[in-house]
Formats: sequence, structure tokens, C-alpha cells
Amino acid sequence: MTPEYKEVLTELLFQLADDDFIHAFRGSEWLGLAPHIEEDVAFSSINQDTMGHAVIYYKLLEDLGMGAADDLAHLRDASAFRNGVLLEFKNGSGEYLDSPQYDWAFTVVRHLFYDVYKKIKLEALKQSNYEPLANAARKILTEQTYHLMHWQTWFRQLMQSTEESRARMEQALLRCWEDMGGVLTYGQYGDEMTALGLIGSEEALKNTWLAEITKLFSEVDYKKPSDEPKMAHGNGRNGEHSADLDHALKILSEVYRSDSQASGW
Amino acid sequence: MSQDQSTFYEEYEVFSRKKDGMPLEHRFSLLAPNAEMALILAKENFFRREPIADLWVVKRSNIRKMTQEERLAFGRLDKAYRETKGYADLVARWRAFKEKNGDQEVEIDDAGI
Amino acid sequence: MSDVTSLAHLTDEEKYEHFMRRIENDEKIEAEDWMPDDYREQLIKLITMHGISEIMGAFPEKEWVPKAPTLHRKLAIMAKVQDEMGHGQLLLRVAEDLLKPYGKTREDIMQDLFSKRLKFHNVFHMPSPTWGDAAVIAWLVDGAAILSQTMMLKTSYGPYGRALKRICQEESFHSKHGESLVLSLAEGTPEQRRMLQEALNRWWEPLLMFFGPKSSKETGHTNVDKNLKYKLRSKTNEELRQEFLTKYVPKIKLLGLSVPDDTLHFDEEKGEWIYQEPDWQKFKEIIKGNGPKSDERLALRRSSYENSQWVRDALAEYRMAAV
Repeated sequence: MTPEYKEVLTELLFQLADDDFIHAFRGSEWLGLAPHIEEDVAFSSINQDTMGHAVIYYKLLEDLGMGAADDLAHLRDASAFRNGVLLEFKNGSGEYLDSPQYDWAFTVVRHLFYDVYKKIKLEALKQSNYEPLANAARKILTEQTYHLMHWQTWFRQLMQSTEESRARMEQALLRCWEDMGGVLTYGQYGDEMTALGLIGSEEALKNTWLAEITKLFSEVDYKKPSDEPKMAHGNGRNGEHSADLDHALKILSEVYRSDSQASGW
Repeated sequence: MSQDQSTFYEEYEVFSRKKDGMPLEHRFSLLAPNAEMALILAKENFFRREPIADLWVVKRSNIRKMTQEERLAFGRLDKAYRETKGYADLVARWRAFKEKNGDQEVEIDDAGI
Repeated sequence: MSDVTSLAHLTDEEKYEHFMRRIENDEKIEAEDWMPDDYREQLIKLITMHGISEIMGAFPEKEWVPKAPTLHRKLAIMAKVQDEMGHGQLLLRVAEDLLKPYGKTREDIMQDLFSKRLKFHNVFHMPSPTWGDAAVIAWLVDGAAILSQTMMLKTSYGPYGRALKRICQEESFHSKHGESLVLSLAEGTPEQRRMLQEALNRWWEPLLMFFGPKSSKETGHTNVDKNLKYKLRSKTNEELRQEFLTKYVPKIKLLGLSVPDDTLHFDEEKGEWIYQEPDWQKFKEIIKGNGPKSDERLALRRSSYENSQWVRDALAEYRMAAV
């Protein structure tokens, strides 16, 4: 493995790991607060699966000598995180323990956007020339179809019921469209990732995503807001993040950081 | 609350098959507004640890169940004449023939012949 | 099965006798079977409280889901809290079927919870300020719950028994999870041990309260007696508390932790644990919804429920459109 290959590979792995880690965290904040008890239970499984996928990627980084998986998840500064900014946004106003005004429409659309893309990306990663990554993608894909089914069902139903629901969903669609571009990009090393045979091209995957999302949109009589999604709040792949990520990382690492002498938890 | 709650809280009975070839078993029930939603909710509500190969959801109101009164009608008397256990004497009777007619090489097993 | 072949012509008194014979013969009663109102009401009280306690029980631990120190702990506590919600789901379904003849649904259960008409276990009204609390809850609150749930496995009500069977299977993971959390802290730094000891001190009284007062003398009602008569349960509150002490006090001591009760000891002569009685007046207040975290957690549940009313409305509408 050349130093350049390793550098680009770790960039990609951090993107994959951080996307799933932060996305799962936001999902897990809904625990006990979802609109329906049965959904609360089902949603939590999806979050666990997703966090489990993050663990797989952090372990790959650990194997590359980047540090212990737990340190990678808990001790890096926000600027070292490579997740798309859309995934770090809070679920709504308020804290998860104090009058949260969480937005279910935003959650459904964000999950749908992300999970449609994740499946496309995993399919592409199956061809990666980094064998451990290709193997991880194959494993993770087994859980992905169900996640997608889950959010598609929610999306279809909420888009085709009451006026209020439609309005909330359209608002969420606009909001997610504003920053989905930051999930679809590979960041500054994108060309190298593809040139080195780690993953198919950003452009090709993005176009597949656009085609699939447009198809879902047409089923519910919705037109995409513009040609392609934007990146209004910065490129997380390059370490640009919102204050929401700082806040999230503080919560996620509070206990882990609390006792520097501790060798186990 | 703009809707009648009962239309959101429909009862669905959940059935599953553990592996291909196994019978369908009744599991638990859940509340969901429609069958599509019931199906996506059922998996993680009841099969978080165990594997499943197949999953059905049935709206409870579509099931004709029995009442307690009707279940009492399931009492029945012995029906040995229609079960193998009603024919346990066959082996001994075959043996008797074997002894009477010498050592023919007919094998007699538990099921008779 | 008794010699009754039809219920249609029996008087209520004869139905009651038949019902009690079924209970005595250890038959299982099913949801749509004839049952005395008294039995139904006992079940509703017991199972809605059990179910809603599972749901409200998610909150004290939820605080620690994102904060859990490692990736593995994050996953495990998420799974554990999810299971509690899942147990709530199973139990509420059982309760909802019992409530049907009264025309009540889950919506009514939620409204009863919000108005404090419906009570939930004392332990879930308590604060959980540190990771040590998450560990003690997982080990001892779950440990206490396992004892009382196992005791009810043979309950005369079939649907409750089936739900409990499922719940107890999952609880065996929870108890390992709890032990693992506690062991890690007990093996750890002085700071980690201090965190654990302080949490134990906070939880000791709530844990003793968990099983409820000794006899109807303290509670002023006879639910326990009725539950015994109908074979909904097989042990008294005090028997369960004694079991709990026998099971856990030696383990607590083995870890080098102390129990915040100087009077606690096993009386060989009486064959029972002697302990400092919890403040039962305080217990009553907590159960009524006046515990340290009662209002906050109820407000959390209520606001999230109201906040997502549009979702339930939308799905109800979608269903009707689809039919």
C-alpha cells in the first residue's frame, strides 16, 4: 500500500464511518419519542444497525493503524469529522431531554435520502480494490434493503395523506435538498478515490441517486426543487461543519472523556 | 386531534415462519394504520434477535375466531378405530402365524409387517 | 377442562364458579373468555402499570444512550432501552385487548398517563445523574424486575403469560448487560468506583420500594391478595424483596461496595433479611406522580406525543384513502 493510497483510503473510510455514526446518533435521540410505540422499536433497530456499520468502518481504520476505534469515534475534534453536514443537523429545536420539538418529516426525508444513497454506495464499494472494504460493504448491504423499505413506506404515506402532512414533508424535502449535495460529494480527494480504484465515480453515483429519487418523487407527484441538491452549509468531507456537530460530539464523548485514567468502561 | 383515533390504531396479528419449510406460527399483535406499515413495524417489534424467513400480517377483524362457547364444543371421545394405536395387536397376531407355519423369512417389525 | 359444555345458560354465579374452577385447575384464561369484572379490572390495573412502566422506564436510561462511553456500550444500551419499549408494546397490547369492552384504546391509556391517573413504577420517577446510575439501573432495577416478572410467568391470564415469557427471555440479556456495566466500573479507577457507589446509595431506597409495601396494612388495599387468589402472581411483595436481598447483597459486598443501611443483616433465626424500612409515605407520593422527575418525564412523553399528532392523523387518513 503506497502512502498516497493509504491517505486517500483513510479519507474515504472516515467519510463512511462518520456518516453512519452521526446519522445513527441523531436517530437514537428519537428513542422514546417517536410518533408511535411500534415505530419507536423499529426505528431503534435501524439506528443500531447503522451504528454497527460505523463500528465496522472504524475497525477498518483501526486495522490501518489510525488509532483505536473508540478513540476515533470519541476523541476527534469536529474539524476531523468527514460526515455530510446534513446528517449532523439536530432533529429539531430543543434538547433530547428537554422539550424536544423534533421534526418527524425531516427525519423521514433525511433517512430516505441517505439510505437510498447508502445502498448505491455500498453496491459500488463491493467493487472496491481494497478487499476489506469490499467485504464490509457486502455484509452491510444485507441490512440495507430493509432500512430502505422502512423509509420508503413512511415517505409514500406521509406524502399522500393530509394537507398538513404534505406541507411538512415538502418543507423537509426543501431543507434536505439544500444540503444533500454535501452527502453526495467525496470531498477534495474524490478524483483520487476513483482513480485508485477504491470506489466508482462521484458523478456516476450521484446520477444514480438522482434517478432513483426522481422516480420516488414521481410516484408521489412531486418535482425535484432544482437540477441537483445543494451544499448550502459547507462541505463536511473537507472538515467544514455546523455548531450542531460540536454539540453532538460533546454529548457522545462526555463519559468517555470524563476519566482519563480509566482503562475500561 | 382531527382524526378518529381508531383509524390509526388498527389491530394486526403477526405470523412468522422461522425457516423455509417450517409452519407459520402466530406471534403477537401490533397496532398500525395499514398493512404496509404493520409489515415494516412487525419485523423489529418481534424479531430483533431471532432469524425469520417469512412474515405475515393479518388484520384482526378479518379473522373469524372462536368464542369460548365454541371452543367448549371441541371435546371428543376416544377414536382409537381411526388411529394406529387402535391396532396394537397386529404384531402378536403375525408372530402367531409365523410360529404356526415354520420359519419363513418374513420379517415382522413393530408396525406389523 | 371442567364438565361444563356450554356457558350460554349459566347464571353469573355459575359462570363465576366455573371460572374459579378453571383458575384452580391451572387453565389459562384467554382474552375473549368470560371473566368476572373484578378479574378484568385487576388485570388492567396490573398490566397497564407494567406496560407503561416499561415505556416510562426508557427515559432514565435514554439519557445515557448517546453518552455511553464506548461504541459497544452505545450499541448495547440502545438495544436494551429498545427492548424496554418493545416490552411496553407487548404489554400495552395485552392491556388494550382487556380494555376493549370499555371502548378504550391506547389513546386513553396515554391520556390517563398524562393526567397521572395511570401510575408507573417508583424507580422511573427518580433521577439518573451519572453513568453509574445507568449501571445500577441495568443491574439492580432490572434484577428486581426480573424477579417479579419471573414470579408471574405462570399467571392464569394466557396473553400476559405469553408476553412475560418473551420478556423474561430478553431480560436474561439485560441482566448480563447490567452485570457487565457494574463490573467494569467496579474494576476501574477510584473515580469510577466512587461513581458506582454513589449511584448505589441513590438507588437503594427506590429498590427496596420497588416491590411495594409488606402487606395491605401499609397499602390500604388488597390488590396483592386478589392477585394471589386469581393466580396472577404467586408471591407476596415481601417474599420478592427477601429474594432480591438474598440474590444481590452478597454480590454487592463481593464487589467491595457498601449498602447504605447499617441495620441490614440476615437474621438466621427468623431466616430473613432485616433492613431499614423505606419511607412508605414518600413511596405513595412518588407513585402518585410527585417524585423528583415525574413531571419532567411526563412532560417529555406528553410533548413528544402531541408534537407528532399530525403523523398519526396523516396515517389514519392515508389508510382511509387507500381502502
